[in-house]
Amino acid sequence: MATLTDVIDRPTSQSGLWSWITTVDHKRIGVLYGVTAFIFLLLGGIEAGVIRLQLSVPDSTLVSADTFNQMFTMHGTTMIFLVIMPLSASFFNFVIPLAIGARDVAFPRLNAFSYWVFLFGGLLLNASFLSNQAPDAGWFSYANLTEKPFSANQGLDYWALGLQVLGVSSLAAAFNFIVTIVNMRAPGMSLMRMPLFVWMTLVTSILLVLAFPVITVGLIELTFDRNFGTSFFVPEGGGDPILWQHLFWVFGHPEVYILILPAMGIVSEVLPTFSRKPLFGYPVVVFSGVVIGIMGWAVWSHHMFTVGLGPVAVTVFMITTMLIAVPTGVKIFNWIGTLWGGQIDLKTAMLFALGFVALFIVGGLSGVSHAVAPSDNQQQDTYYIVAHIHYVLFGGALFGIFSGVYYWFPKLTGKLFHEGLGKLHFWLYFIGMNVTFFPMHYLGLNGMPRRIYTYASEFGWDGLNLLASMGYLVLFVGTLIFIVNVLISLRKEPDAGHDPWDAPGLEWSIASPPPSYNFSKIPEVEGLDHYWIVKRRAAAEGRPVTEPEAYVDPSTIHMPDPSYWPLVTAIGVLVLAAGMLFDTGWDYIRFPIPFIGGIICFIGIIAWANEPPAKEHAVGDHHAEGGHGIEPHTGTATTAVMERPTGAATLTVRLLCSNCGNQLSSSFRFCPYCGGAVESPAEPDHQEG
Amino acid sequence: MGLLPFRGADSQTLRAGDKKGNTTLMSKRFTITRKHLFLLGISAILLLVMACAPDAKQSTFGTSGPVAEQQLLLFNVLLWVMVVVFLLVEGVLLYAVIKFRRRPGQDELPPQTHGHTALEITWTVIPTILILGLGIWSAVTLFNLDQPPAGADELEITVVGHQWWWEFEYPDADGNGTYITTANELRVPVDRAVRVNLRSDDVIHSFWIPKLAGKIDMVPTRENYMWFQADETGTYYGQCAEFCGTAHAQMKFLVQVLPQEDYLAWVENFGEPPTLSAQAQAGQTVFNSTGGCVVCHTATGSDQQAVVASRVQSFLTTETGIAPGPNLTDLATRERFGAGLVEMNRQNLRQWLKNPEDLKPGNHMSGRAAIYQTSDGRANLSETEISSLLEYLLSLK
Repeated sequence: MATLTDVIDRPTSQSGLWSWITTVDHKRIGVLYGVTAFIFLLLGGIEAGVIRLQLSVPDSTLVSADTFNQMFTMHGTTMIFLVIMPLSASFFNFVIPLAIGARDVAFPRLNAFSYWVFLFGGLLLNASFLSNQAPDAGWFSYANLTEKPFSANQGLDYWALGLQVLGVSSLAAAFNFIVTIVNMRAPGMSLMRMPLFVWMTLVTSILLVLAFPVITVGLIELTFDRNFGTSFFVPEGGGDPILWQHLFWVFGHPEVYILILPAMGIVSEVLPTFSRKPLFGYPVVVFSGVVIGIMGWAVWSHHMFTVGLGPVAVTVFMITTMLIAVPTGVKIFNWIGTLWGGQIDLKTAMLFALGFVALFIVGGLSGVSHAVAPSDNQQQDTYYIVAHIHYVLFGGALFGIFSGVYYWFPKLTGKLFHEGLGKLHFWLYFIGMNVTFFPMHYLGLNGMPRRIYTYASEFGWDGLNLLASMGYLVLFVGTLIFIVNVLISLRKEPDAGHDPWDAPGLEWSIASPPPSYNFSKIPEVEGLDHYWIVKRRAAAEGRPVTEPEAYVDPSTIHMPDPSYWPLVTAIGVLVLAAGMLFDTGWDYIRFPIPFIGGIICFIGIIAWANEPPAKEHAVGDHHAEGGHGIEPHTGTATTAVMERPTGAATLTVRLLCSNCGNQLSSSFRFCPYCGGAVESPAEPDHQEG
Repeated sequence: MGLLPFRGADSQTLRAGDKKGNTTLMSKRFTITRKHLFLLGISAILLLVMACAPDAKQSTFGTSGPVAEQQLLLFNVLLWVMVVVFLLVEGVLLYAVIKFRRRPGQDELPPQTHGHTALEITWTVIPTILILGLGIWSAVTLFNLDQPPAGADELEITVVGHQWWWEFEYPDADGNGTYITTANELRVPVDRAVRVNLRSDDVIHSFWIPKLAGKIDMVPTRENYMWFQADETGTYYGQCAEFCGTAHAQMKFLVQVLPQEDYLAWVENFGEPPTLSAQAQAGQTVFNSTGGCVVCHTATGSDQQAVVASRVQSFLTTETGIAPGPNLTDLATRERFGAGLVEMNRQNLRQWLKNPEDLKPGNHMSGRAAIYQTSDGRANLSETEISSLLEYLLSLK
């Protein structure tokens, strides 16, 4: 296989489409994750629109029962696996290396692989629409409704295989971030000096590594039941549908914390910044996050209070579930403590963070009400639960994520969002969210079950359903405003500076957008909120920090080279999974295509392992492998240790992006890296080394 | 120390001109007011919930009987705890946001507090105590509601879930060993504990009569049970709560709570052969032969368990032909048909017989019964046959 990597040179493009396809830069991968997930957010939002339109009036005949069932199934699956998780991953990618003072993640090519596998998994799941066989058994897909006699078409196969592929992506990313956070922190950043977002990413990644194997087992069993005649969940064959519920929720409940903890991390960054004081009770907030991560494993059966587990088991899960409200409450109190006595600046990011806290309180309280099993017997599977999950996942996770978008967008692009439009977006979301989902509490208590495609007017559910649907329109307009804001903000001149919020994190000490190498000099972290310490000392000494770290010639810093092989391997994974949809019906080779996928994976992995560094780096490069391993004795990135430049470097550049300073070829009018305009050849930097 | 230049977005805005700076500040004040109003709005909605709750037919409020009442009591207490905590925490949050806003020219850093151990302990311990208290009370309620009170004179019923209708089986309807099977309309006596065994013959369903008791799932591999007791006579509405496929939304049922003597009269008269007109007799022929209805439905008394079992078996193992169907004995005495779907009258029933897919998409009758396997899904029966079949069904009382 070495011959293959000898023949195909390692890609080197720094701009253009190929540079995005072959990129291993964590910042670009973060952008890819974010943009892809946002497109899926629009898709899931449209699915929600169909649901709301159908339910806005009683006895609606807008869509058929089967279409409606496909819509809520795909809405849930999309929003959880293709929107909130990858949006969080987008922040992991973009922020984590910057926040811990690293030049990239531990395994940059594995990172690219995670993205491509995520994209392909999402496409595979949605490809089911093309053959009109979208999955229709709910995002939880309870057995035995998912078995052949009841779900004859291939919808559930698409679902199971799509989630398997997404699981590969999540696991690869989770391992990557655990290793990155544990090993690649800048010198001086002890665990208890890590920003809260880094902590929550670590906890989330560990949860992912432990939770995904459980659903993987369930999905394999489901696939085997459907295609190879096993009976894991088939009662007639001695299987047990409840086994699926346990497998699903042992994964599914930690998954809830996988969705919410990153948002809690973001909010814990935003609140101190815009209150101009450190996070209140940092160790307690860290500890409660870890406790939530641990206790999250002991509560899964609260999704199953009506299954008939018996009062003893139900009592145990009831008490553990109620107790998990304690660390969650502690977090909220500490956030309020952070605000207390601060100087609160209501920028859009701050509004979304405050919105998160305000709405998460509602979701948390309703959560306690159905932790109480006897009361849950009435609420289970009603719109009360729909209201609850949207308060925690929309009002919670998504508000946290939007807070992060508004917070880190200037770092990503060098440009500030339009504040007015941002605030309009926030208020439309805040009002729309409450108008849509608050009435659902009452609908549920009034006896409206979930997942019904129609209802009769006699039950008195029409008014509030119409109100909820109007709330959806408000959210729809809010989303449009956000898109307009992004487009407007991207077109304007860079105006953010490197540190628009006077923020405490390491990432704000470098230019916006960050150069490809992030830090020319790996910082020595002096404490929690390192950059505040630096800035305040400098200000006290009378020479306030106004400039980011100086720009150096990227070619003087060894960075991971782009690579084709993550993409090739990801294509192999896709073919492997999608091939399971084509049953030849032959005796011994019913499923030949997955073998082809396996071979592509094999080639991809071998080539990946043997790939040399790009030719232009190869000469005199001591890292012949081109990998970015970890220096065992220092625990920091080799790139950081070996290539630390000394002093200012000389720049000789033909064409520079006027915004981010990236070196471009003359064929570009816009910088493919930051979107900035490239007007004329910039003056070369005359600094002499 | 603390003399940080006032930088960033604010300075950008201010630099853009005084006018713009002013509007930003004004809009900030305005937003606070709106948030305040919103909080009031939420409280108003909460009060509205409390005020207009018991009217709706399928509401968890306006309960009847000990099970639903205790569940509601627990929820009501929780609700008020939630309202108090909500107002307290959101109030403090809102107060903090208003009180500690950054004022223009405020360049000095605020006090850089890092935490407060006593506070942390307080807001960990108080919620823990509160929650454990609620937890213990909930556990007691849970165990109390698990079984009917000892020594109660229970009526035992087995409910079997089918896609998408309910089979009700009374092993001993009157204490004299009378065995009854019926469908979609449960009849029980008032003021008597009813013990419900829950089973399913296909996928998971969930048995739920909001005004009488919370739901318990019907799982194919399990023998679940629940109990309820209605304190007032009348009609109660139930619905399947676990997503169970295409027509899940239309898997409803009624519970008729009757005075004891009416209930016993119903048991006694159940399955008495109806008097049939000539047209109804023609309809009976359609039912038993031309239409093939009898393959899945019984109209002359209780189902034999073996017959139902064989129908279920054929349904699960073959793609076409047969599915277990509701027992139609005394059909005309029911208030609704189609699993609690529509009112029992000639017009609705005619529509149903002609094309069940119109009323209940995905139902197994139009999917499997031979007479409905036509190009447009309409029954392969003449108008006369339908009319006489209708007459027969409406004579079943």
